Amino acid sequence: MATAEELLEFLPGTDCRQCGVSCAEFAGLLLARERPPEDCPVLHEPDYAGFIEALHELLGPLTAAAGMRVDPEKCNGCGICVAMCEFHLGNCDAARLGKGPRPQDQMVFHVVNGTVVVVRQELCTRLVQAAEKCSKCAQYCPTEAIELF
Amino acid sequence: MVVCLCLNQVRCKQYVGDRHESIICPGCGCLCDDLDVTVDGDRIVEVSNVCLWGVSRFFHAKKFHPKKERHRLREPQVRHQGRRETATYEAALAEAAQVLSRARRPLIYGLTNSGSWAQEAALKLARSLGARLEPADLAFKAPYYQSIQEHGLAWAPLEVIRDEADTVLFWGANPIHSAPRHVVRYAVFARGRFTERGIEDRQAAAVDIYPTELARFCPLFIQINPGQEVDLVAGVAAILAGEPPPDPVVRGTRRLAKFLAQAACGVIFCGRGVSYGPALELFDRLARLVALLNQQARYFLFPLSSDFNSNGLYHLLLNEMGRAGAPDFGTGEVVTHYTPVDFREVDAVLVAGADLLWFLPEEQVEDLKRRRVPIVALSPFANRTTGQAAVILPTALAGIEAAEVAYRMDGLPLVLKQLVDSVLPPDHQVLTDLHRMIGAQD
Repeated sequence: MATAEELLEFLPGTDCRQCGVSCAEFAGLLLARERPPEDCPVLHEPDYAGFIEALHELLGPLTAAAGMRVDPEKCNGCGICVAMCEFHLGNCDAARLGKGPRPQDQMVFHVVNGTVVVVRQELCTRLVQAAEKCSKCAQYCPTEAIELF
Repeated sequence: MVVCLCLNQVRCKQYVGDRHESIICPGCGCLCDDLDVTVDGDRIVEVSNVCLWGVSRFFHAKKFHPKKERHRLREPQVRHQGRRETATYEAALAEAAQVLSRARRPLIYGLTNSGSWAQEAALKLARSLGARLEPADLAFKAPYYQSIQEHGLAWAPLEVIRDEADTVLFWGANPIHSAPRHVVRYAVFARGRFTERGIEDRQAAAVDIYPTELARFCPLFIQINPGQEVDLVAGVAAILAGEPPPDPVVRGTRRLAKFLAQAACGVIFCGRGVSYGPALELFDRLARLVALLNQQARYFLFPLSSDFNSNGLYHLLLNEMGRAGAPDFGTGEVVTHYTPVDFREVDAVLVAGADLLWFLPEEQVEDLKRRRVPIVALSPFANRTTGQAAVILPTALAGIEAAEVAYRMDGLPLVLKQLVDSVLPPDHQVLTDLHRMIGAQD
């Protein structure tokens, strides 16, 4: 499965906000299947020919999407989900203490520009068979912005 | 710092701008110190680990509406014959100095969203003008400080609360709205030295007059009617002292008493909700309750500041005046007031670090308009106050466009760095220039 960082490689990276969000947020929305790559107007320019197809290839067929969706309209960036994440508990010292993860930390998601952005969904413990019941991020979210499916 | 060496930085995939790590956020009283900010030239392009309150400062957006941009003030303006006209900095300053020095009862209002240097400059200005200096949250904080001084309660750093507090009560407070990362960084979810399992090692409860988001993680949520606050505290105190609770017994009194009694270390966070009723009496009762609880376990009574440097202002007032109230220099000797000012007495207002007209009741706003009380507004953004101001002096954003010092809600002073350049002066410079100009006029 593609990561947000891999998707960012195929986005303009200029944060022009013509699509309404920054490139990092747009990568998160692509990963959550909330926006298609065609929504980025810059990718339609000749300089970026082939990037939209590459993004579709990276994202794979729709059925491969794993089970988390963050509603950026509801999310207030408090970061409770980041602190409660089971993966971060064992792998991210900063998140254990309630701080935001450091850039070098491995993380499932973190808060960017006031909204939770999924970085590496494949690290989510819900994808590990024995831990499929984990739903702490959604359970404690005060604004009910996270939907698991 | 990550900078690409090629010339085409905009299109280059490796260029992500200058990255500043562990930046302090001037969004609320938490002053979170773990933000990673990416700056491209004079533009902030990305901020990690920031909540929506921080976003509103870094990206000039409305609070909790990140896509709605706040209008930034760029040039000084002076009202002339009912119309506002753009003016030079010196002309606007001279007009402001004239307005304030002509006034018989001038007021300096706000300052809870200003840095400490600006607060010091405002206090000096208040002294030389013979003005009253009114913190924006006086109705909330003054009774709090009075009550903890009366009952001799101790404070604790937020890190101690994170490490040791196993019982947390929010009273009239909603940190999800006033300081969104407070519960994650310190109060409920953070894992500390003796609270290694975070929320599983803590008991959290909330008292409020309407349901809030806290109900998601506070198993004990007591919803009371307005006016029942004092009865609830009195009932809890009586039960903890081994006496029957006095009538009327509020629903949830016994559960709350049991909840508070089981703590090894506890904290009560009070929010602005406390100030909407009889604040002095309620704070006094709460402080007395905490003093009673302190006989069994360590307990703290803590105000939940939403403005980022509210604490710095009271720290300054306690240092300089010895009292946490509103000093009035206009009556010969200095008098400290603990109740909000009667705006009917005021004939000129300088507002900095607050939106006065947003907080005032509509009839008081109308009264100020009717009497044509001139307002001098120092603000980075357009707001209701600047809409009515006689003089507008735009300022740089403290902690983003100008370096400043701010006090975290537990009294820890922190230095805020300048991240991007601004042509606008910081508010401490404007206040100092104003002070100098008023001195020259005298």
